[in-house]
Amino acid sequence: MTESSLGRLDIQATLSSPQVQADPDAGLLCLAGESYPENTFEFYRPINAWLDAFLARDPRPLTLEIRLSYLNTSSIKCLIDLLDELEAAHQAGRGVVLNWYYDPDDDRAMELAEEFKEDLTLPFHIVPLQREG
Amino acid sequence: MNHLHDLRHTLSGQGALICFNGPFTHNIIEELGKAVRKYLEFERTQRSALMDVFSVYIEATQNVANYANREGRPEDQRLRLNAGIIVIGRQDEHYVVQSGNPLLPGDGEALRQRLDRLAALDKAGLKAAYKEQLRARVDPDATGAGLGLLEMARKACVPLEYAFVPDDAEGLTFFSLKVIL
Repeated sequence: MTESSLGRLDIQATLSSPQVQADPDAGLLCLAGESYPENTFEFYRPINAWLDAFLARDPRPLTLEIRLSYLNTSSIKCLIDLLDELEAAHQAGRGVVLNWYYDPDDDRAMELAEEFKEDLTLPFHIVPLQREG
Repeated sequence: MNHLHDLRHTLSGQGALICFNGPFTHNIIEELGKAVRKYLEFERTQRSALMDVFSVYIEATQNVANYANREGRPEDQRLRLNAGIIVIGRQDEHYVVQSGNPLLPGDGEALRQRLDRLAALDKAGLKAAYKEQLRARVDPDATGAGLGLLEMARKACVPLEYAFVPDDAEGLTFFSLKVIL
């Protein structure tokens, strides 16, 4: 990665790891799917690195979009680290927004989002997904 | 040649729906997890109850795999420690997830002390302990976040049940955990 241009991040989903799309031009970092990879810390390392780099070099606002229907506890830990970093950026006056989408049929998904929200002050929207059919 | 029949009878008698005995590789954890969800969907289990069972299943099996594959373990020891068992079943109105795996003797005692501390906590105490662990620094070599037992204890409707049985022949301690949801 050169100092001047921060690239995109595109990771395909598997059964146990989410799709990850990071787009500096759109100011969007999106995680979608389920998250219980074999080595969770290794999986999240490039995502953390991308977020570090974006916040350090790019002054534009960032939206984090979470569309995760299940996270194991190691993934929750990794996500907390991402959110703490976003929170620090928010405290420093950066424009950051978190949109958390959840399945309204799954109470646990909403409870998890709310538990994350308890400890943060950045703009955090918990949005129910449209029911199918 | 009636062993399998007896084994099956014992398992059914305990309300077992799905069980697996063998090494918890990541592929097996994924595939068996898929089967567990299919089964519960077929049973028309509520989405949140289904996800509770799945979540406890994942934490239990990944705990075994992570423990067996800790940094620096020789290959033959990994294989011996990854020989786990998982039984998902039903008791009356409750889903029950039971898991078992061998531990090195010293580790059994440390785990027992940890579980004894968790057993003394109520829901609010478990949540506080969970949040504290969530922000604890993770060792760079760690394969897990140390949150699995807390997550299981929070989801359980009664305190976690656990037992440690020394296996003298193998020199290991067999750990069993029962989570009633």
